Amino acid sequence: MTAAAEARSSRILAAPSVYAGLAVVAVAALLTFPEWASGIEGSRYWESILRDVLVFGIYALSLDLLVGRAGMPSLGHAAFFGGGAYAAAISAARLGTDELVVTLTAAILVAAFLAVVIGVLSVRASGIFFLMLTLAFAQMVFALAFQWTDVTGGSNGFSAIRRPMAFGLDLNPADALYRTVVVVFAVVVLLLWWLHRSQYGRALVGVRENERRMRALGYDTVRLKLSAFVLAGALAGVAGALSTWSFRIVSANDVGLSRSVEAFVMVLIGGAGTLLGPIVGAGVVVYIDRVLSSSIPFSQTVLGLVFVVFVLAARQGIVGSMRSALARARR
Amino acid sequence: MSPDLVLQQALNGISFGALLFILAAGLSLIFGMMDVVNLAHGAFYMLGAYITLKIVDVTQQFWPAIVVAPLALALLGLVLEPTLLRRLRGRHLDQVLLTIGVALVMADLIGLFWGREIRALPFPPGLDGSVVIAGNVYPIYRLFVIAFAIGLALLLAYLHRRTAVGALIRAGVDDAEMLSALGVDTDRLFAFTFAVGAGLAGLAGVIAAPAFGVHPGMDVEALIYSLIVVVVGGLGTLTGAAAGAGLVGPADTFGKTLFQEFALALIFAIMAVVLLARPSGLFGRIRISR
Repeated sequence: MTAAAEARSSRILAAPSVYAGLAVVAVAALLTFPEWASGIEGSRYWESILRDVLVFGIYALSLDLLVGRAGMPSLGHAAFFGGGAYAAAISAARLGTDELVVTLTAAILVAAFLAVVIGVLSVRASGIFFLMLTLAFAQMVFALAFQWTDVTGGSNGFSAIRRPMAFGLDLNPADALYRTVVVVFAVVVLLLWWLHRSQYGRALVGVRENERRMRALGYDTVRLKLSAFVLAGALAGVAGALSTWSFRIVSANDVGLSRSVEAFVMVLIGGAGTLLGPIVGAGVVVYIDRVLSSSIPFSQTVLGLVFVVFVLAARQGIVGSMRSALARARR
Repeated sequence: MSPDLVLQQALNGISFGALLFILAAGLSLIFGMMDVVNLAHGAFYMLGAYITLKIVDVTQQFWPAIVVAPLALALLGLVLEPTLLRRLRGRHLDQVLLTIGVALVMADLIGLFWGREIRALPFPPGLDGSVVIAGNVYPIYRLFVIAFAIGLALLLAYLHRRTAVGALIRAGVDDAEMLSALGVDTDRLFAFTFAVGAGLAGLAGVIAAPAFGVHPGMDVEALIYSLIVVVVGGLGTLTGAAAGAGLVGPADTFGKTLFQEFALALIFAIMAVVLLARPSGLFGRIRISR
């Protein structure tokens, strides 16, 4: 490639409008998947896999706001995912409503409330200590879900949950739910894209890079971190509610440590601090959990080993490593 | 609560605290030396308990386990530290993440080899009876756990304060870099420390197995309890592990009697108060939060 052509191609790759165009095409392709894939063998199965990738993609993206952006390694994110999942199921049952707006709001509020309580006690700690505290506090939410049988259904949780109505549209058919998940996913990605570009998003990265300097510059870093923690919790609650409707089951598993670990693995394998990475990571984990696990009995071992390899050898994750490779090739 | 019940629950609580001490001592030791919170600690504990199950199944004897399981875990630690953790020396958070992967793999493989059912173990012969204390029948095994933990604490304190290895460990906890500059092979010291910590987790698994049985998920339970103990008691010191265990064990036991399903609320409250009032834990040297 000549120097001029190289400069042109890198300009094209760097232009935000190209990414925006690609994103629009991707969302359109996802939305119409039930139509264009209807001839493909097992398309209904792959539609459900795709749906799960998007649901867990939201979950992973919400954790990345903490891990990748603000540098807060939370190992208790399942508390908010599970909190949202339970809230969606319980509010529908107790309020006797089918309205998505009501139950989704309940999920967001409960997840955000839990995040405030845990965040106030944890965000002053950093690094390993933050990780320990979020882990321990989230496990208390797990115990609550497991033991408060009157409200949470105890170890059984809830099953055969009815899917909600969204503005008169019944989400019980698989395609309708799938499209709703795509729309919510697109909204969350757009929100995060905007957030990471905003002054607030930059301030969070500043906290990650040098919290002391940010304080010296006059930022209230504790408030910044707490707000990020609550926002990430609320988004995890959205993912939790979507999972309740997708699987039509909520159990203490959704609040457990392995659910928290799952999110962390997604973010790290995919690439922390990128918008695409957590989504790719969600794809890998959903593949291992749902597709691979049906053929081998030790899929969790595979997941663990993959994680170890990435931590040891490719800490930037798939997207981060590819980006570095691209940057090297361009030079 | 009647006075009888209070006494009984107090003994139960102390016995549980004694087990927590054995469990948390290893976690705290590793952290003190290497600044790594070993999140595979619960999985090490679980493996110790399952090895005990195997030994009891095969030999019909309990006591060999108390030697074999900790040694096996120490050996595992001796292999894992140089092959995995050492590669990330200095990157503490990444080392912690690495231990998450190790925990995932171990818990899954244990389930694969031993099955995923709940299994109970008999109390070891000689400790399967009960004694009468102040008019209450009380299982001997729980008293044994208390005595064993006290003995272990004394032994560890002696090794820590009065032996050459203990002096090296204390020096390493204080300033590993300086120790290395003085010519001590800190690689070996770290591997040794990790092995001892893993062995202690295995030992806790052995002791816990007859009392609580073995089951999937016991690794997470153990990890959470030991984390709570070190947060409350303070990280990196034996005294901290003892104090945390002495507080959390009885609090958990009484909490379960008084509040049933909300027992963890009491533990939560203790942790919250400690974090807000004494961020370094009761006897810790490191501030956990600002």
